[in-house]
Amino acid sequence: MQKGVCGGGRAGLALPGLENPELAEGGRDSESRGCTGVSCAYPIGRSVFISVVFHLITVVMEAPPVTMMPVTGGAINMMEYLLQGSVLDHSLESLIHRLRGLCDNMEPETFLDHEMVFLLKGQQASPFVLRARRSMDRAGSPWHLRYLGQPEMGDKNRHALVRNCVDIATSENLTDFLMEMGFRMDHEFVAKGHLFRKGIMKIVVYKIFRILVPGNTDSTEALSLSYLVELSVVAPAGQDMVSDDMRNFAEQLKPLVHLEKIDPKRLM
Amino acid sequence: MGVSQMPVAEGKSVQQTVEILTRKLEMLGAEKQGTFSVDCETYHTAASTLGSQGQAGKLMYVMHNSEYPLSCFALFENGPCLIADTNFDVLMVKLKGFFQSAKASKIETRGTRYQYCDFLVKVGTVTMGPSARGISVEVEYCPCVVASDCWSLLLEFLQSFLGSHTPGAPAVFGNRHDAVYGPADTMVQYMELFNKIRKQQQVPVAGIR
Repeated sequence: MQKGVCGGGRAGLALPGLENPELAEGGRDSESRGCTGVSCAYPIGRSVFISVVFHLITVVMEAPPVTMMPVTGGAINMMEYLLQGSVLDHSLESLIHRLRGLCDNMEPETFLDHEMVFLLKGQQASPFVLRARRSMDRAGSPWHLRYLGQPEMGDKNRHALVRNCVDIATSENLTDFLMEMGFRMDHEFVAKGHLFRKGIMKIVVYKIFRILVPGNTDSTEALSLSYLVELSVVAPAGQDMVSDDMRNFAEQLKPLVHLEKIDPKRLM
Repeated sequence: MGVSQMPVAEGKSVQQTVEILTRKLEMLGAEKQGTFSVDCETYHTAASTLGSQGQAGKLMYVMHNSEYPLSCFALFENGPCLIADTNFDVLMVKLKGFFQSAKASKIETRGTRYQYCDFLVKVGTVTMGPSARGISVEVEYCPCVVASDCWSLLLEFLQSFLGSHTPGAPAVFGNRHDAVYGPADTMVQYMELFNKIRKQQQVPVAGIR
């Protein structure tokens, strides 16, 4: 059997141009006759996928490979825990320096993203908001669609802002598709900054740029003389100890930046 | 690459026609390689959002294909086809107030997957709820991604086991013969097939198309 035979099924993920996949499925190799492995960038999926892979390896040894049935996302609700703060431009360097020391050792990562916020107005009082984000400096990355729910008001002692979040990677025709669904773009901006990681915590330091001509990302102007700092974790619902870890980390960044729980409603 | 409907032979049930087809394939030398499934759910814009758009409600199809287990395909008829990951289903649950699912119209095809050298053949039974409504046959020629380059080869292969039921070129190839073929094109073909089957009568008694 030729190697090229499984061309159709080799890239298990249908997203085109996904060169450096964080989200990939091992191909069906005709020689090994079994799924070689599955990995997933989302923590939610990891436990599900690992159990599927082991099952296939133990069962499939003698029998012909069984095509994996579609794995649906599951009903696990992911929550985003968020702490925010800001630093003035002249304090950026010292903050980056401290973050580089505190966070996981990795190549300093910068990003340049273009985000568009879409609204779907219905009879309900509040429109449905979806955020579509694309990378401007990494060609071939999938677009990122994000839904963020209302912040959970439950526990006043909880240190971070908690809200439901759904993250979806999509192909490039996302904006056309959203328009077809009935969404209309409300506003857009460009975010440029640095990304750090510590375990499951993500720390982003970025500047927001206003787009002067709609649709033209080359003509931008900075919105303010400061950088926004966000510490966030995406974890399954119910893991409140996450906010304690976040608070402990935020303590280490004082007095350079004060990260706190900011209720978006109070700003309106 | 090509999806078509195999009409049920006269006097036989869906199950028997599938068996005839699979036996023909096995005699050709195709190797059975597990199962496949493609399913499709229909959503329509809820009445509450129609007023603001000023247009008739559109139908949105959300499909899954076991060939791409981590993906979800969302498409509009004659519109764009979005390829997303499986969290898109979770998003559709959140959009319940704006897009209602027509539960009764969930349609799917399940069957066996055969590999014959460079061809991948999938023969499945199309079911809507508990009833079997038809047969779908999908043939993929794996090494080639440009439709016009291999359509004649595909046709010849189809003729060898479908005989007189070989279909014409799918509409998807229509104006873009030289474009690169992708998974979205396969899903569009399945959607058209499902729509055709949905419209036809419960038991196709009339002769072979």
